[in-house]
Order: sequence, then structure tokens, then C-alpha cells
Amino acid sequence: MSPLSATECLLQMCDERHELEDYQSGVPRWCTGCGDNAILAAVQRLCRDEGLRPEKTVFVSGIGCSSRLPHYMKTYGFHGIHGRALPIAEGVKMARPDLTVFVNTGDGDCCSIGAAHWIHAIRYNMNLTVFLHDNQIYGLTKKQASPTSPIGTRTNTTPRGSYLEALNPLTVTLGVANVSFVAQAVDWVPEALFDIVTAAYHHKGLSFVRIIQRCPEWMPKTLEPWLHDPNRVQLLHHANGLPLRAGLARVYKNQVEHDPSDINRAREIASSHDIIPVGILYRNPDVPCYEDLLRPDQLRTIDMKRAALDAELDKHTVWPREANLLV
Amino acid sequence: MEAATHAHITFFLTGSRSREHLESVEGLDLRPALLAGYRALDELRYDFPLVLVANRPDGPLVQSLSGVIDEALTATAKGVDGERIRQHGLRIERDLRALVASGATGLLSSLWDGATSWLERDAEPSLDDSLRRIRAAIVVDGEVADCDAALPARLLRHLWVAVQARKVAALHQHLDRLVMKLTDILRADFERSTERRDASHLKASVGKGFGDAFDFDAMSRVLASAGTGDGFPEGRRKRIYQLLAVLTSRAFLPGPDAGVDPDGQPYKFIFGSCSEALDAFRTRMPAVIAMARAMAIAELEIDGQYRESRHDALFDEFGANGLDPQDLAAFPDYLVCVHAGQLPAAEHARLMEILTSGLPIKVLLQIDDILEESPDEQGALTAGMRMRQIAGMAMGLNDVYVMQSSSSNLFRFREHLLRGLQCRGSALFSVFSGASGAASGLPPYLVAAAAMDSRAFPAFVYDPSAGTNWAARFCLDANPQRDLDWPIQRFAYEDERHQKVSDDLAFTVVDFVASDRRYARHLADVPREKWSGHLSAVTESLSRERNGLPTTVPCVLMVDERNILHKVIVDERLIREARRCREMWHSLQELGGIHNSHAEALLARERVAWEERVQQAEPPMPAAIVTAPVAAAALVASPAAVREPERSSDEAYIETVRCSTCNECTTINSKMFAYDQNKQAYIADVTAGTYAQLVEAAESCQVAVIHPGRPRNPQEPDLEDLLKRAAPFR
Repeated sequence: MSPLSATECLLQMCDERHELEDYQSGVPRWCTGCGDNAILAAVQRLCRDEGLRPEKTVFVSGIGCSSRLPHYMKTYGFHGIHGRALPIAEGVKMARPDLTVFVNTGDGDCCSIGAAHWIHAIRYNMNLTVFLHDNQIYGLTKKQASPTSPIGTRTNTTPRGSYLEALNPLTVTLGVANVSFVAQAVDWVPEALFDIVTAAYHHKGLSFVRIIQRCPEWMPKTLEPWLHDPNRVQLLHHANGLPLRAGLARVYKNQVEHDPSDINRAREIASSHDIIPVGILYRNPDVPCYEDLLRPDQLRTIDMKRAALDAELDKHTVWPREANLLV
Repeated sequence: MEAATHAHITFFLTGSRSREHLESVEGLDLRPALLAGYRALDELRYDFPLVLVANRPDGPLVQSLSGVIDEALTATAKGVDGERIRQHGLRIERDLRALVASGATGLLSSLWDGATSWLERDAEPSLDDSLRRIRAAIVVDGEVADCDAALPARLLRHLWVAVQARKVAALHQHLDRLVMKLTDILRADFERSTERRDASHLKASVGKGFGDAFDFDAMSRVLASAGTGDGFPEGRRKRIYQLLAVLTSRAFLPGPDAGVDPDGQPYKFIFGSCSEALDAFRTRMPAVIAMARAMAIAELEIDGQYRESRHDALFDEFGANGLDPQDLAAFPDYLVCVHAGQLPAAEHARLMEILTSGLPIKVLLQIDDILEESPDEQGALTAGMRMRQIAGMAMGLNDVYVMQSSSSNLFRFREHLLRGLQCRGSALFSVFSGASGAASGLPPYLVAAAAMDSRAFPAFVYDPSAGTNWAARFCLDANPQRDLDWPIQRFAYEDERHQKVSDDLAFTVVDFVASDRRYARHLADVPREKWSGHLSAVTESLSRERNGLPTTVPCVLMVDERNILHKVIVDERLIREARRCREMWHSLQELGGIHNSHAEALLARERVAWEERVQQAEPPMPAAIVTAPVAAAALVASPAAVREPERSSDEAYIETVRCSTCNECTTINSKMFAYDQNKQAYIADVTAGTYAQLVEAAESCQVAVIHPGRPRNPQEPDLEDLLKRAAPFR
């Protein structure tokens, strides 16, 4: 990293310091014990530690429990419509590349109705940080099977148990062209969650973080085997990935060194069934961002934009007076 | 002792040549035997001439002619005509090289036309087809430059112009963005003004088509009553106008928009003297500071962050101490091309001033003669010392980019040249052109290459931005066989009986000096009939100090213009010079991590200590057993090292770092349980609740990080049951 110039230091000297409270808005209405609380805490901590200016930060969401997150952030937020968090976020980023844009989406929002947007957002690789809150259920609408519900899950829409194998968001993401950052976290290991969220924020490009979270209301038992057996959580660490924290290493002894630049190994790890890998699976900082590819060679002033728009509209305009003459 | 041997030793010791036993080398036109194969350079394929590419801004800025032809042949020499096209391509390349060697200059395209116009196409009908195809495949064009005295400045100017063009384009783009954003701010301010809400302006904004469709007076009244504010404070508006004035005045930037300085002289950035460059830099500095200040304030304005109460004071004194290299990096650099041989003392002092102050001035120090003779003929030969010391001293300054190279190596160092031109602060390019060879009938390329190979002028790069230590910053890789004192090459020749004889010859600085006619008096040719066993290689003499009367005399193998082999003995002054050159090479090797004396001493010490330990210790365990725990320890950072403080099972506590912020405990008792600055739970006040609540919280915590400890109140109801429930969490 190149050193800051004196001018840059001078400008930073006047930056305001923010506390956690500066990013907190209202009391979360999530159920007690909901994993969304842990994600919210990690994200607020990230904003504070990175000194993100609230007026320069946007959280975009779709519909679902997870998508209430923008309400609890004292930043700009956009509570969008079902499945459309990603295209809205892309629009925000395209219009205002100076903003830091986060996306909070759920397994239903992203992997079902929003699946097409999800695939193409990965391919576009815009500089967004996407958190997939995966509780494996439609919780806000009181228990319907989502694409990531384990096979056999009894819900209101699948009273005899779901028939299909769960979709794996990691392997899907890792199969899309231009994928540049894929990580997985679990809400009950907050240290790792924070490290992963931070790494995702620092990645330039679309960073996709699947966060497996508990739903104590509708899926209280689903994750218990992993919650109570630390050996079923596998910590991924590497010199080019996340370091192994001593406190975590003491509790989670299942540790694997994994180079995030190895996409084939990342796909293998992502396909694990009994083990939940936690860490950075894949990272490629060289994938170009869509907004960079589209950046015009020259600045477009308002007059230029107006002239171009007028020229385009003029192709289809019927001038009233001329129209009257024709009549 | 034989008379001949006596004469040889006498020459070695005194430089006095016996006419009876030794012949003068003057007039023999000798050159080192290893250079025998390089008489006609234009018949060889090598890096030169170069094409200074001018039509491919995003591609390589410089290419060798061979490289250009190779690329064209790769694209065209295919199929049944492939070999024919290849042969014709190589032929035209040879012609082009000869043309350039004869002094022709110009663009590659025009030289191509000139070279091909002489070819007898009628004699070979397919030639026309080959040349047409090859020419169509050559996409680059630019001036063609041979390895001559003008090359270093020519190449550096070419690269500098390209680097500055990119830099200035980026700066212009940045300034344009700032101007546009500031203009947008003023426009937004105007849109909110009373004037803008006037009926006539509103009508104009709708356009002609619907000009009569609205009541603009009513619209104006509605907007006036909407109370959208009165626009910016006058101070901000004034400040933005001032910023725009500075940001749009870019006369001091190079390029088509460059203007004239306050003295009416056109701004220039390439100078022939350090004094001129320094004066220009200092004259323009206030304008640069004003621009840097305006850029910083503009960023704040655009971001809506400028607060007069806070920032005015900071920016009032902006640039009082000048600008640091990071700030200056956005602005154009200066290039100075000077000849070391024409560097008066005052200019030398100004050069030092540039280097020591770290200004963004890049200096080409061209050295045409590294074998200049010492004014005192009795002293050391001082070959190249005076000039080489500047590069050495610049390295000692630590923050100057230093590159030393012969011009023959410049093409291979093109990336280093670019890196030096792109670096922040000052850079010194010390280049030996090889032009002094003309007096000895040798082409500059050969002299420059010989200087580098013989360690007389080693190539190196010192890049302070590459790291924090010498291993990262210093690079000696370009020199041949850098691990050795002198590079060794295979030399084959035919003896009197027409038998092939081959030998490994070291190319030393003595060979290099021997190729210079000015040093003929230090050499003496040994007639063939006097060749004997007491003539030894120079490297042998260098490897041992003289103790008493020498028994052998160092000689070098040389060839005359008919390629007849000669043995030429040298006097001791040249050997002394070679020793000094070797010592300097050793110093560079140490800087480059080769045969580093500190490392070798440490290694020797450790080896002795290890051997002692081995002798004293028990028989070593098998390697696998020894390394297993080490590997396991390396895999995981030792948890014990950062283990949390031991807690008593009687104490109530939370493993805060593992808390997942699920609100379970704070919902039970928000006074007993609270969140810390990272929004993770801890026991804020254990007395604020009951033991039952502690146990309940421990049971409901899904990550099981709450430990209830022992009850504080022995009178609490159902204590026995609570203790039983608490047992798994203590």
C-alpha cells in the first residue's frame, strides 16, 4: 500500500469518527435468538471500524426477514421488492459509484424469485458486497420451504416434507462466469463472521457471502448438530485468505488450509455435506468490474447528456404544430 | 632466466618494452579474441536497432527490429511459402540493419521503403510477394534508433514523452471531473435561485412546443412559495468560482494546451542542464501548489465536506513546506539529459541538489568514455571511477531510483527505464554509450557490451519503492554469470596444424582496456616464437598477490584484423586496475546478496555451533519424529499463547467474543446482561438479577457461552434444582 500524501492526511484529519450507535437505528424486530441479529452486529461493527460515512453507505434489500436489515442501519437504505435487491443495488452503484453498496438478501429472495438476477449479478461483478442470509426457510411468511430447505423439511407448503434436494448457493455461485469472491460464514461464530464480512468489504468486485443463520422460530432444530459439534464446522485459513485466530482455533479444531485462488478446490469444499466450511472459498481480484468496463473514456457533462437524450427523443417526436399542419 | 622471459617480466613490472623480444601492439588493430566473431554486426541478429514505437500508445513503447520482424514472420511465414517468406524477411531485416548502421535515420516505414527499393525484384519474382505480406503484418511504426552516442537520450526522451502523456492525460481527466462537479454544484445553486424561478426562465426551460400550454407566472408564484431556500452562502459560491479559476488554468502542463511562463517563454520539461531544470521547477512551484490546494478543496466541496470553520485554517498555509513526493506525483516530471564529460563543477553541484532533495526530476547522466586517462599518469588508471561514483553515491541517498547500464543493455532494461520514469521523486540513469570506441574502430554497441561484460561498467538497478531492504531494492541480474568474478566463455580456434582447439576464456576488464588504443603502451605483443609456459591467463595473476619476482606474466588472447591469434602481455598497472575493478564488483555482489560476507560469516559460525551441538548431543531422533510436533505447531497458531484468563467455575461470566448477539440474555435481564462496544454480550452487573435468570440465560444461549457460576444468594428459592440445571454450563 502506498503511503498517504500530506494532503490526504490533512483531509483525513478532519474526518469524523463514528461510534457503533451512529449506525444503529431502532430496535430490531427479529425474533429473539434470530441469526440476523449477529449479522447486523457484524455489519455495524464493520461500518464503524472502516469509518464508513453513513451518508455514503447504502444497504439494499429485497423481501423477507433478512431484508428488514436496512431499517436498522442509520445509513441510506432501500427496502426493495421481492427478488430485486441485486438489480436495485446495481442501479445505485451505476448511478453513484462513490457510494458503498451492501445487499442483504435471503435464501428465498435471492435463490428463488431473484435467481436470475443473482446469476447475472455474479457475472457482472459490480463492486457490491452481498450477504445472503440463509435460514433455509421463508420465515416472514411463517414457514414455507425455500430453495435451500433441506430435503424432507416439513413446512406449510410441503406438509409431507420437501421433495427436492436443497440448492447449494456456493456451488451455484462458483459456477458462474466472472465470479470473483465467495465466502461462507455462520452466525454463531461471530469472530469468523466479522473477519469474513470485512474481507468481503475490502474485495473490489461482487463479494458473495453466504451466512448460514439460525431461525429459532421455524427451524429450531435444523442446525443443532453443527451448533453443538464444533468439529462439524471447518475453518478455512490461508496466508492469502483469513488468518487463524487463536481463540477460534481452540474451539474449532477442524481446520483446513485453503488457497482462495484455487477455484477447483473451492468447488470441492463448497460441495461438502456434513461439514460447514467457514472462510473464504474463492477470491480473484483480477476479474474486471462491470462499471469499470463501461466507464466512458471522456467525462459526460450534463449538456452532453442532455444533447444525446434530445437527439434520441427527436427521432420519435411529432411536433404539435407540424402535426396540425398535416391534419 | 632466458632473455625473453627476462624481457617479459621487465615489461610486466616496469612497462618498459624490449624491442628485441616484444613488439608494439600499435598498428596491429587487435581486439580481444572473444570479440573476433563480432566484426560485422549488421550481419548478426541482435537487439539493435530499436523501433521507438509511436503509433501504439497501449502497446510496447520500444521494440527491437528483430522482434518486429519475428512477429511479422510468425503471422505470415506459414504453409508452403513459409520458408521462402522467412528467408526474405531475414534478408530485408539484414538490409535494414545495414542501412541504419550506415547512418540512415527515419521512421521504420520510410526505411523499409528505402531498403526495398534497392532490391532487384525482377531477379526474384517471389520477393515482391514476400515483402508485401511481411509489410502488411508489421503494425508498429516509429523512429529507428541504432546503438550510438545519441541512443540513451533519444530512448529516454521517447519513453519520457509517453509516460508524461499518460500522466498528464490522467491529470487532465481528474481536473475535468472536478471542474464538472463544481460546475454542477453552481448549476444546482442557480436552479434554486429566485432568478431561476422567474416566469421567463421557466418558460424557456419547457421549450417551444408547449410554451403556451402553461401559466408560467402562476408556476413561478407556486415555486416562490414552496420555500426551497435561498441558495449557497456567498462565501461558498465565491470559493467555488476561485477553485474553478485555478483548476481551469493549466498552462504549465505539457501537451497541446501548454502555455508560456510568466517570462513569456514556452513551458518546457526536458532540459540540457540541471540548473535550468531546477530553476524551472522552482519557478512553477507556486502554481503547482495552488493547483494541488484547489484539487484538495474541490474534493471536499464536491463531497459536501468543506467546513469553513475547520478547513480554512488548514488550507491557508497549504504547501508552505512545499509538496511531498506523493502529492507531486500527480504532476509532470522533468527530464534532464547531461553528458558526464561536460559536467562543470557548478552543474555537478546542481545535480547533487536534485538528487538529495528528491525532486521529481529524472536525470540521464550519459558517459561516453569510462576509460578516460588520469591527469596524473603515475597514479591509478581511474577507469570510469569519477562517473561511476555518482551512481554509487545516489544509491547511498536511499530514496533515489538509480539505474546503471551500458547502452547495449538498454533494450533489456526498458521496463526498468519505464519504472524509473514513473517513480515518485528523482531518478538517475547512468548510461555508458560506448561512443569512445570509435577511436579504436569498434562500434559503440560492442564497446558498451564489452564494458558491461568485463565488469568495467556493471548494470544494476536500485529501486527504493520495491521494498524496505537491499534484497528487494537492488538487482544485479542483468550481468552475465553474476556469481563469478569474470564471465567465462568458450573460445574455439584453429591451431598451426589446422586442429580445432577450444578453451574457456574469462573476459576481464584487462580485455576491455586492451581493446582501447589509448592504452597500447600497457600492452606488448609476444612474437609467436617466444610463446612459452610462463605466459599465463590474467585471471591467474589476479588470483594471487605477487610475492617476490613473478614467475609468470599475464597475457590476453587477441586477434588482428585477419583473425590471427596473438598473445599480448600486460603490465602490472593494468593488473592493479583489474584488481580494483574486481573489488568494486565484489562490493556490488555483496549488495546483491551474492557471496555476502556477513551472511557467509554467520553461516560459518552457525555451522561450527551446529557441529559442536551434534557432537555433544545424543544420537539424533529420526527426522520424521522430530519434525512432527513442529509441523503441528505451525499448522495452528498456538492457542495456549493467547489463552483467555483462567476462570473459576464459581464465577459467572460470558465468553464475549463468541457471543452471536441473539438478544436472548438481554431479553431476560437487560441490566444484568449488556452489549459491549462490538455489540457482544457480557455480564454488566451480576447483582442486577437472580441466579435463576443466569441459569435461564445459559440454557437459552444457543452458542452456550454463558457460564452461571455459583449462586450469590444461598436463600434463593429452588436452589438445588437451579444448581443441577447450571452444572453443564459451569
